[in-house]
Amino acid sequence: MPRMDPLFAEEVNSFGRFDARACLNCGVCSAVCPMGIELLPRKLFRYVLLGVKDRVLENVQAVYSCLLCRLCEVNCPAQVRVAENVRFLRYYLNKKVFQI
Amino acid sequence: MYVCHCGGNISDYVDVNRVVEAVREEPGVVVAREAMFTCSDASQQEIIRDIKEQELDGLVVASCSPRLHLHTFRDVAKRAGLNPYQYTQVNIREQCSWAHTGDREGATAKAIRLVRAGIARTRLTEPLQPLKIDTVPAVLVVGAGIAGLRAAIGLADTGISVYVVEREAAPGGRVARLGRMYPHGKRGRELINQLVEEVQKRENITLFTGAGLVEKSGSIGNFQVRIRVREPVESEIGVQVGAIIVATGFDLYQPREGEYGFGLEGVITLDDFLELLDAPGAGLNFRGREVKDVVYVYCVGSRQGAGGEGANRYCSRYCCNAAVHAASLAFDKSPGVRQYHLFRDMRTYGRFELFYQEALRRGAVFLKFDESEPPRVERGEGGKLKVTVKDLLTCGEEFELQADLVVLVTGMVPRENGKLVDILKLPVGRDGFFNEIHPKLRPVETVVDGLFICGTCQGPKNSSESVASALAAVTQSASILKKGYVELEPLVAAVDPRRCNWCGECAGTCPYSAIEREHYQDREVARVNEAVCKGCGGCVPSCSRGALNLKGYSDEQIRAMIDALAKEIC
Repeated sequence: MPRMDPLFAEEVNSFGRFDARACLNCGVCSAVCPMGIELLPRKLFRYVLLGVKDRVLENVQAVYSCLLCRLCEVNCPAQVRVAENVRFLRYYLNKKVFQI
Repeated sequence: MYVCHCGGNISDYVDVNRVVEAVREEPGVVVAREAMFTCSDASQQEIIRDIKEQELDGLVVASCSPRLHLHTFRDVAKRAGLNPYQYTQVNIREQCSWAHTGDREGATAKAIRLVRAGIARTRLTEPLQPLKIDTVPAVLVVGAGIAGLRAAIGLADTGISVYVVEREAAPGGRVARLGRMYPHGKRGRELINQLVEEVQKRENITLFTGAGLVEKSGSIGNFQVRIRVREPVESEIGVQVGAIIVATGFDLYQPREGEYGFGLEGVITLDDFLELLDAPGAGLNFRGREVKDVVYVYCVGSRQGAGGEGANRYCSRYCCNAAVHAASLAFDKSPGVRQYHLFRDMRTYGRFELFYQEALRRGAVFLKFDESEPPRVERGEGGKLKVTVKDLLTCGEEFELQADLVVLVTGMVPRENGKLVDILKLPVGRDGFFNEIHPKLRPVETVVDGLFICGTCQGPKNSSESVASALAAVTQSASILKKGYVELEPLVAAVDPRRCNWCGECAGTCPYSAIEREHYQDREVARVNEAVCKGCGGCVPSCSRGALNLKGYSDEQIRAMIDALAKEIC
């Protein structure tokens, strides 16, 4: 069973660039995604927020599939900055996972 | 006799004109009219004019439920110089048009019969005067918690004498044990100290601690109460009061052994956690160990499913707010603490949403679980607790987390007060809390006149809601007592002492204990305490000698109504 790893959550928070706390889980983002990426962004962001590192690493593909078109962002009722968060996740994965 | 269209609420389904024509020739009818809205000012004026010009001695309006307009039309009768108790309201809206929307013919026929019965009753009415009862300008407050103390101060400031009876040795109740509280951020014990100081300043408040009620007799305006005190010597004191306010508070739900791991080291209730947060010094420690991860489980002992025996079905209302407020207190005390809130529904109503927002902003994490799959708490590795939760906000995925403390956010339960319930005849609801007459329209009054309830003894509330209800009880009781008298409905039971030979049967049927024994010409007969009687009529059929009658609904009237209802078939 996936574990919630508080250290992962804290590490992400320490950059001060990822913020999805306002997410209401309404699902508008998933509905409007032109790529049909079911995972993005609400579920993936939720994994990050809870610190479920395993799930984030399993879904690296989705993070890089995003077009950054911001259709979800303009439709988000909670004003979550989706594109900025995805950009940060790429930065984090590049650095921590792919060591580039 | 007037029949109302109620805009169309009645006339859409009942042929109003036919009703009027059908009863025009009934015995006693002088005027028979219809009106679009009988309750409108113009129609009221017309009724008054008819009563005066034709010198009428009875009034029937067939319209809505008497709950809505009984007093409106009694007042019309009064303004026309007619005794208000010679008015009858016939309900042809809730009982005809709204109930039989698919059957215009049937609804009309039913309305005709009901109106006929109303006319028959009215012909036999007698003028009655409201019962006038003098009141004693003193109030008994039971319970010296935040609600009881605030009520005492409020009453004392209107010039009414107050007796406060508290079971514990010191006043203050649960709030006296609390640290910083929401929504004001003040400390519970400081609030109580202030209130106790104010109580002591007022000479017209007498506070009995370590005391209890022994006996109550009398009725609204003049209750006789006996109080047992232990200090300075065990004795009984009798007081006379015009009203009684009950503010006996609540108990906290005590989790069962094993409920969300209760009984394991580190599984505590919110109450215990608040005590930790209130401890002096920085940092959050439990039994000498630093607390890094806290998991809250919401709705413990509240909103329990229908299945369980004696399940607490209700929402305890205060706990979501108290828990998110505790989250902020925990961040204040230990900024690095990690907090996970496992909730069912976040019910931070009104402005308390701000506490939720604050907890969220400061890093508390919220997970939503379903009632049917609650989180599991077990012993984990390295002295930690292992919590498993299915998070609905992540599409029902199951996660595992480690915690140093699991805080069970427990609800409120009614307090064990069996003796007090017996003495005061307090109405107890299905949930075990005391019942008001109506939660919105008459929120602090009970079915017993002169007996008021406030605070958490009537249901879960936070401290400011308790105080608000205490002040409502102050206003209600003071408005009776400051006037010096109360007026009660004269539609009560009466005994014909010539027929009665006191068998006691009727006294046993009375749910309000309104029937007493008295001497009448060297015999024992029943007597109805008119101030206590509610006019339910339950005693009337119990009398084998026909000595009881209900004013306004006498046997003769009921018989006449039945004859009128069944005119076509007999």
